[in-house]
Amino acid sequence: MTMPFRGPAAVPLVLHVNGEDFHVFVEPRRTLLSVLREELGLTGAKLGCGHGQCGACTVILDGETAYACLTLAIDCEDREIRTIEGLMRGDSLHPVQEALIAHDGYQCGFCTPGQVMSAVSLLEHNPRPTDDEIREGMAGNVCRCGAYPNIIASVAAAAELMAAEGD
Amino acid sequence: MRAFNYCRPTSYGEAFHWLAGADQLVVPVAGATDLIPRIRDGLLRPDVVLDIKDLPDMRALTPTDGRLTSGEGVPPGLYVGAAVRMNELARSELVSSRWGVLAMAAASMGNEQVRNRATIGGNICTASPAADTAPALYVLEAAVCIKGPDGDRTVAIADFFAGPRKNALHRGELVVGLTIPQPPEGSIGHFEKLSRRKAGDLSIVSVAALAVRTDAGYRWRLALGAVGPTPLRSPESEAILSESLTDEAIDRAAASAYGCCCPISDIRSGLEYRQAMVINLTRHAIHAVMAQMPTP
Ligand SMILES: Cc1cc2nc3c(=O)[nH]c(=O)nc-3n(C[C@H](O)[C@H](O)[C@H](O)COP(=O)(O)OP(=O)(O)OC[C@H]3O[C@@H](n4cnc5c(N)ncnc54)[C@H](O)[C@@H]3O)c2cc1C
Ligand code: FES
Ligand code: FES
Repeated sequence: MTMPFRGPAAVPLVLHVNGEDFHVFVEPRRTLLSVLREELGLTGAKLGCGHGQCGACTVILDGETAYACLTLAIDCEDREIRTIEGLMRGDSLHPVQEALIAHDGYQCGFCTPGQVMSAVSLLEHNPRPTDDEIREGMAGNVCRCGAYPNIIASVAAAAELMAAEGD
Repeated sequence: MRAFNYCRPTSYGEAFHWLAGADQLVVPVAGATDLIPRIRDGLLRPDVVLDIKDLPDMRALTPTDGRLTSGEGVPPGLYVGAAVRMNELARSELVSSRWGVLAMAAASMGNEQVRNRATIGGNICTASPAADTAPALYVLEAAVCIKGPDGDRTVAIADFFAGPRKNALHRGELVVGLTIPQPPEGSIGHFEKLSRRKAGDLSIVSVAALAVRTDAGYRWRLALGAVGPTPLRSPESEAILSESLTDEAIDRAAASAYGCCCPISDIRSGLEYRQAMVINLTRHAIHAVMAQMPTP
């Protein structure tokens, strides 16, 4: 038995994003980034380069960061997708977001959603990273404003905030 | 990006049915980190993209009691499914236990986002001379397991790389995984790469060194990436190092490595810089291995 292949015209997909199921009708060539932004209106993840070079499109897929610009939406069925829109708990920002505000971890803000998702994933896997581990974990996110020192300080501060919350 | 069909077979029968389609370009995909940019840039125009990640054993990462080597009470080899991702290799205790040079190469690739998606099968099938897992797989003398409509075959990693972006696959075949013999206890490996940025860029030069423990001492293996049409071994350097590890021998080994290369100038580096860096990186890798040798 062979299954027919899907496409090239639009096909129905169910995407699990930030804990909700979304039914979309999209072509197999569509990237996760374009579906998030154009079909679901989740415009937090940004299109910077579209080539896996900048990190503005970073989302968390099944607990690990991924470039949404290099990922096909059709490859994400049955996976948990998290975007920056899903980080708030009620009216509270995520500690990483709090820390970026407190430490001036951004200037124009274009790279920030991607930076936040990388930082969140880093701290989920490694709650107490060293500065070198922060640099390594965040290396896939470019900031054209060059806010790097403050981004690194923000991630370190977020780690402390989260440790304090855990206590 | 041009439109295409997508399928995600769960059996090889189904996969080969699609791959045999005569009038269509059917292209396998795993992590898509190479493929999507190529399709987007119009370098490749597939009719069908065939996702291999759900095929049996594509994600396996297990010890083998293989035909390749044997040992007492320890797993004699490693099987790595083609869809195993770089971060899985980099973070696996099993891989680090004996195949550390592969874990180091995987950890050096791209950045976190890329390593979470990029697979070892995709890395070798792209057959870039700069594929970072390649020098590690060359010194480990890995074998590539290939499946096709007419059956299975195995190809030595050094025969799998056929030229820039050319691999040894025949039409309609898939790489299903790699078998990697287990180096004897006490063997020491190291991987080193040089790139324009520390993260997210291909190698200008990469070197893998493996000192294989023998009764008499060490037998050395040395492989280089990004300095020829395929990754390559430097047999002369290997012979020199297996004989002696004096400063003079190391200089000669590094010079021989330089002699093996036929690098090109490209966007990442000029020819002369690349040549100079072959010598430096080879020396670094040798010293890094020696630093881990037990003092007599
Ligand atoms: C930002 C960035 C940084 C990168 N940095 C590095 C780096 O430092 N070092 C490096 O070596 N590479 C790097 N790469 C290149 C790429 O990520 C790697 O080559 C990766 O391992 C490819 O794996 P994949 O699973 O994503 O391959 P895919 O894109 O899915 O496939 C690559 C090719 O292999 C074929 N293929 C895949 N699997 C199979 C299979 N099982 N059988 C037959 N054919 C198959 C596909 O048809 C395609 O032609 C980088 C890429 C990006 C975007
Ligand atoms: S937009 Fe995805 S990495 Fe730049
Ligand atoms: S804050 Fe402007 S790109 Fe990072």
